[in-house]
Amino acid sequence: MDVQGLQMTQNIPAPGVFKRNPPIAGEAEAIEAAKNGDAEAFSKLYALHKRRVYTLCLRMLGNVSEAEDMTQEAFLHLFRKIGSFRGESAFSTWLHRLTVNLVLMHLRKKGLNLVSLEETINPSEDDAPKRDFGARDLQLTGSVDRVALERAVASLPPGYRMVFVLHDVEGFEHNEIATMLECSTGNSKSQLHKARLKLRELLRQPEQSTQPAGFNEVAV
Amino acid sequence: MTDSNFPDFDTMTPADFEKYLPDFFANGDGHVSTDPRLQTFLKNNPDCAALVRDLEAIADQARSLFEPTEPSDAVWTGIQDKLKLLGPEDDDLAIPQTV
Repeated sequence: MDVQGLQMTQNIPAPGVFKRNPPIAGEAEAIEAAKNGDAEAFSKLYALHKRRVYTLCLRMLGNVSEAEDMTQEAFLHLFRKIGSFRGESAFSTWLHRLTVNLVLMHLRKKGLNLVSLEETINPSEDDAPKRDFGARDLQLTGSVDRVALERAVASLPPGYRMVFVLHDVEGFEHNEIATMLECSTGNSKSQLHKARLKLRELLRQPEQSTQPAGFNEVAV
Repeated sequence: MTDSNFPDFDTMTPADFEKYLPDFFANGDGHVSTDPRLQTFLKNNPDCAALVRDLEAIADQARSLFEPTEPSDAVWTGIQDKLKLLGPEDDDLAIPQTV
């Protein structure tokens, strides 16, 4: 597995992740045991973190098959690299960042120039959010249905989806996203705004138009 | 970005507002609708206020998308298979068999 370019840094906190990840009973012992080759301990770490890693992959990739492949890769990478975990941040934070980096590397290999900003700054005519305020829409204002939003997120262009998921779902700050995606903080802000505008537009359309091919696989 | 980087809040046009909206969201707690500097503008521009409310609703609801989802059993099976292929020469760690 090519791990070039992965940066397993532990010094950049992800506030949203810390908030969502209180210490897990028995995790510290399992980590130390897994470092020493304890197979059952590794199994326990998988059981503890599989949902979180898989959900992250699913949100970033919007595709069940790819998300499962990347979950597998993340844990294989963890298996190889757990000895380098020094405990300077929460294990869940470290694993979260490892997974994000793997997914980003995967997308780059696929040719998605992440913040492929070509794609997201200059999306195709169909993909770009409309630049009008539109009339007030009481259907959307005040509440957004979670399932409808999930569908809309899954149908976003990949670049928009990536920034939206990293910021609004995963809780990364713009400066962290800029580092991960190798873009400017201003670009991250701009992409997030365009992603939200596109989501608003999608949520105001009839339901079928927000349903991408194979979406049923993604709905959770 | 400080206030000096923004247009005059009292004379700002909807086009100005649209231009600076990403920065309005990025500053503070992300809730533009409660920004005291923008209250007069939003009151006088209901379409802009509606846009803000919609975008805030989307951002707020996004947090609920984090509910964990279970991967299929095939993922763990695949991990086990790949680890077997690694062999002891690749890694000294034992192969986990169960979850």
